[in-house]
Amino acid sequence: MIPLAHYLIFSGILFAIGVAGVIVRRNIIVVLMCLEMMLSAANVSLVAFSRAQGTDGIPVYDAQILALFVVGIAAAEVAIGLALIVALFRARKTVESTALTTLKD
Amino acid sequence: MELSICQLLFYILAALAILCAFAVVSFRNPVSSAMGMALCFALTAAILFGMGAQFLGIVQLIVYAGAILVLFLFVVMMLDIKDEERKTNGRCNAIAGAIVAGMLAGIIASIAIGLPGATDNPCPAKALCNSFGDLAIGQPATPATDSATPASTCSTCPAAVTPGAPLPGPETYGGPLPKIDPVASDNDTKLIGATLFSQYNIQFVILAFALLSGTVGAVALARKIRKD
Repeated sequence: MIPLAHYLIFSGILFAIGVAGVIVRRNIIVVLMCLEMMLSAANVSLVAFSRAQGTDGIPVYDAQILALFVVGIAAAEVAIGLALIVALFRARKTVESTALTTLKD
Repeated sequence: MELSICQLLFYILAALAILCAFAVVSFRNPVSSAMGMALCFALTAAILFGMGAQFLGIVQLIVYAGAILVLFLFVVMMLDIKDEERKTNGRCNAIAGAIVAGMLAGIIASIAIGLPGATDNPCPAKALCNSFGDLAIGQPATPATDSATPASTCSTCPAAVTPGAPLPGPETYGGPLPKIDPVASDNDTKLIGATLFSQYNIQFVILAFALLSGTVGAVALARKIRKD
């Protein structure tokens, strides 16, 4: 069987790529996509821990419920975020994060 | 150490998922990024299937690769976004991102490899309880008689003896995951539903309200404001 650490490393790499995307990309839609990737990476580690903590082959279902809640919150977050992006595009005609400097100026 | 087909599939799927995640970051066209994200989510769902979490895998496919992806594509089409053009400081930005991500991945990997009980125990929390047995993690202070048998004070995994689990070799880290019970695996959805609607019922209702308010907020944010 695959050790727990390999699942955790996989989820960590996925999370790190998401962080890199949030830092590197300027398109806010792609930044939101990278945020979703980070949430799904967290889900993988939650399910891996639910397997590792289980007894007699039955996983701990609390962790899987938590992962389910993460999916639900992610759906709500995407709806709000994309609505914000649409409103931003209406106001500024751009979705570049570098173009939003009103508070800086 | 020979690889079974299950292990081989996990490593192939994980490598492909990481490749797709990298594609999301590196493609300049947002539509290509969205397609890479869909592939990444589908491969992650396959890994969840491999872990015996069938319900979560299906949810991942339906919600992430289905609903959220369509939402992203819809907005990309609606806004008519052009490719990001390269700027002069793009390379510097990319190097900074790569350094931060590499450090984060390194920290997570080192923590995962250095899990307590890495070589001799399938359950990390059990090993923690063993090493801090007199502290009785997660429990109020117990009389000194209990500290003589530290394994029994562990509330996290009271019966860490997993009969089906093979002994980990010296090269495995964190202990292999215990074999899943086929009956529990078949009744995965049933057991999740039983937990969700008994123990976490109130939280589920709160989540439903959060989704409802999110939907209302999204409609309120995205509607056209009339200037009259």
